[in-house]
Amino acid sequence: MADRIADVWGERTPFAAGERWPQRVDQFLTVPAERVERWVPSACVLCSNGCGMDVAVADGRIVGVRGRAADRVNHGRLGPKGLFGWQANNSRERLTQPLVRVGAELRPTDWETAMEVIVARSKEVLAEHGPLATAFYTSGQLFAEEYYAQTLIARGGIGTPHLDGNTRLCTATAEWALVESFGSDGNPGSYTDIDLCDTLFLVGHNAAETQTVLWSRMLDRLRGPDRPRVVVIDPRQTPTAREADVHLAIRPGTNVAVLNAILGELITHDWIDRAFVDAHTTGFPELAQVVADYPPQRAAEVCAVPAEAIREAARIIGTGSRLVSTVLQGVYQSHQATAAAVQVNNVNLLRGMIGRPGCTVFQMNGQPTAENTRETGANGALPGFRNWQNDVHVRELADAWNIDASRIPHWAPPTHAMEIFRHCEDGSIRFLWVTGTNPAVSLPELHRIRAIYGQDRLFLVVSDAFPTETTALADVVLPAAMWGEKTGCYTNADRTVHLSEQAVDPPGQARSDFEILLEYARRMEFTDNDGQPLVNWTCPEEAWRDFTELTRGRPCDQSALTYDKLRDSSGVQWPCTEQAPGGTERLYTNHDFFTAPDICEDYGHDLVTGAQNEADEYRAHDPDGRAVIKAAHYLPPHEPVDDEYPLRLTTGRKVYHWHTRTKTARAPQLQAAAPDAWAELHPDDAAQLGIADGDLVRVRSRRGAIEVPAVLRGHRPGVVFVPFHYGYFDQADPDRHNRAANELTRTEWDPVSKQPIYKVTAVRVQKIADAAVGGRPVVITEPGLSATRDDGTAGGTARGTAGGTARGTAGGTARGAS
Amino acid sequence: MNKIGKLLEELHDAETGLADEYRGVAERQSTDHGTHYPCHTLAAQCDQHAERIRAWAQRFGKDISAPKRSDALASAAGSLRHKASETFARRPESGLLLLRDLRQLYLKAEAVNIHWIMLAQVAQAVRDQELLEDVSGLHQQTLTQIKWLKTRVKDASPQILVVTD
Ligand code: SF4
Repeated sequence: MADRIADVWGERTPFAAGERWPQRVDQFLTVPAERVERWVPSACVLCSNGCGMDVAVADGRIVGVRGRAADRVNHGRLGPKGLFGWQANNSRERLTQPLVRVGAELRPTDWETAMEVIVARSKEVLAEHGPLATAFYTSGQLFAEEYYAQTLIARGGIGTPHLDGNTRLCTATAEWALVESFGSDGNPGSYTDIDLCDTLFLVGHNAAETQTVLWSRMLDRLRGPDRPRVVVIDPRQTPTAREADVHLAIRPGTNVAVLNAILGELITHDWIDRAFVDAHTTGFPELAQVVADYPPQRAAEVCAVPAEAIREAARIIGTGSRLVSTVLQGVYQSHQATAAAVQVNNVNLLRGMIGRPGCTVFQMNGQPTAENTRETGANGALPGFRNWQNDVHVRELADAWNIDASRIPHWAPPTHAMEIFRHCEDGSIRFLWVTGTNPAVSLPELHRIRAIYGQDRLFLVVSDAFPTETTALADVVLPAAMWGEKTGCYTNADRTVHLSEQAVDPPGQARSDFEILLEYARRMEFTDNDGQPLVNWTCPEEAWRDFTELTRGRPCDQSALTYDKLRDSSGVQWPCTEQAPGGTERLYTNHDFFTAPDICEDYGHDLVTGAQNEADEYRAHDPDGRAVIKAAHYLPPHEPVDDEYPLRLTTGRKVYHWHTRTKTARAPQLQAAAPDAWAELHPDDAAQLGIADGDLVRVRSRRGAIEVPAVLRGHRPGVVFVPFHYGYFDQADPDRHNRAANELTRTEWDPVSKQPIYKVTAVRVQKIADAAVGGRPVVITEPGLSATRDDGTAGGTARGTAGGTARGTAGGTARGAS
Repeated sequence: MNKIGKLLEELHDAETGLADEYRGVAERQSTDHGTHYPCHTLAAQCDQHAERIRAWAQRFGKDISAPKRSDALASAAGSLRHKASETFARRPESGLLLLRDLRQLYLKAEAVNIHWIMLAQVAQAVRDQELLEDVSGLHQQTLTQIKWLKTRVKDASPQILVVTD
């Protein structure tokens, strides 16, 4: 096998539109193949792509992985994280015993003691302060059955609205953009649409690094005989952007302005499907009116890209015949997140390109099991995409759980994560249970987060597989089983469900979150209306059966999707029902959207303020199955750049790491490829500041500062990039908080999706040491990315924007405008 | 007597008063981020409304001067309040003050609302189609502001009023 650290996307297997994506089986074993005793079917949990894989087991340990050739998602391929990330399971640093705080120290204990401490405190808080003093903050990396157990415990057992996932940080905007436009969550399209499209429009979606196997699929089309044309909107010169026909390197935070200009061009040139718009959408006149205010020239000024490049981008989008648009964090974690994501939906709606082969919009997910927090009601909505304002929906839930509807909090939407932490801060939440996530590195404004978690009045339980920056602050730490050590289902970004079977036992005393939650529920003595235990499962399959039954008749109907069916499959796309037992490739093929008042997941919001629509007004403007076109004006970000903080910081994910590196730092190949943090600066900015490649620099915002080596890169001037993966657990002095990107970020969130904003922070940068004498050596090795930069085979330097800059980085010409 | 001009002046005062209130609440609630940032957004929206109203007033022969705000002063006072509100973030009474602020905003926004209603009636009666279209656009934004205030109050009050210390 090629060196898949250097060769991130592996060998090309080009194919033409309509052909089947060729198989290529990727495998990595740490023992000779003949020593493998069995291969256990699973899927990768290191990004939302959900590549099918088999796990190799020898001597009771995982010894490798192999992509599943027949799997509909990856056709055998795995990326670097999938190939190497599993080694974390075998790490010696795993948590293997419960820990309980005694004074300043976390001391090992047994399960009995740990659970007793948790339950005693939980009951006490419930009795003294009521159900609203208890909260749960979960992950995007547990399994569906575990999330559903959390939902039942929190919403049915305790009766608290305070349950959310860290999916709030990564995919809440995907969820809400889909809800606002189409009435329900759930991506309309299928990855097979990439096989058929002739135009790709990637907005803030650096697929090359965030979903490497999906990018391989796109690259194989781009190297095939009928290369789709590509438009990329991204402030950064990413490997994805390097493949673009037009790359709009916009000023961070200006997505809405550039998208409005593109929509305006589509309308002006009549590149829209009038018949579709008339028959299947509502709201077009308002959109036309709003986007008329954004001629390319005006957007060019706001976004600092050439107007001609915007026109050319619109022409490509407007004249193709099969358009796939994709959206990710460059939109979701930026200013006006939902408003911008919805405008991408609008592009496909105006073009009439949805619900047909090769035509769709993907509101991508970040984390591997993010879709499942959303479906099971562990964040944002009630289970089965039910509407909290719809009494019939709430009653269905109450009936299924055999409890009174009044026990299920539905006077307001389920509390979002950022508000949960606010309530921890103001002292009204006293018991917080964090499962499988590391908020002490991943949330914005870390000094605030550490202060909140460090309060004595807050009792903090953390279950995780590893000691983290968050477990360090906990009162009780529970050792959790990881993927491969438990059984359960999860769903990727194109609605493909996989069953992942337990391959090995968890280490030491570690237990699955599912078992831990069941034990908690039993000890809390939650009962239903007949006095029977509310949570009465003995294994994940029973929870799955109950959950899928609850989806019957809902948009995410999985009522015919059993463990047995999943065992026989290579991934099944929901809806999976008696009428569609093999699953469903595309939603909305009849252009009937889930917007009818009785069906919709939510009545929607005002995109500027987040004001919630209510049932009566929604019914008064009943979209009745038509998609809802919502317009939005561009608004400037709340924290402007100024003389003191003249640069814009954007944070993000890099190809070798996942989240806060709790897993990927324990995979030697991934760790060696990118062991430490860095800041990417534009060479022009660096020159002005007297900074050379590798110099140690201090990046400071109004909230904090970090010290990292500088890497001079070709992003747009005025933009600084810092990866968000690096915290302190592997630092010599974990109490020196000088490395995590989130020391700098700000506590603000999108008014609709409530997703925190990570991409528009005003900062300044200052050199503190020469590369030669500097505090830390530069240790970034990204051969894979460099390799593609020099790969002229398809990128072709001849392709540029109409704006005339080589390789289409339009923003590069607009220096000084910000 | 220029009655329409007078109405416009009252509406203008209501909008600028509401803008100030949004800014004041944004500063006082600087640790309640779900209130702080939308209040800044809406203060700017009220400023835009006021600007438009001044332009119409001209048409109706009334000169309304733009409100004077010393930015330097405002920001110094703001940063003082900001510090105070950070310490305050941890105290249980902070929730009650949030509800009081939201209630105050709601009343002021309703005052703006009723003036828009009057102005829309005027625009119809004087058969000024252009004014009517403008008014209904801006009035709609005020109604959305009110809707947001209700949303915020509904979301915030249970936690503030129900959880026992
Ligand atoms: S693309 Fe995502 S799911 Fe697939 S192997 Fe890589 S990290 Fe895993």
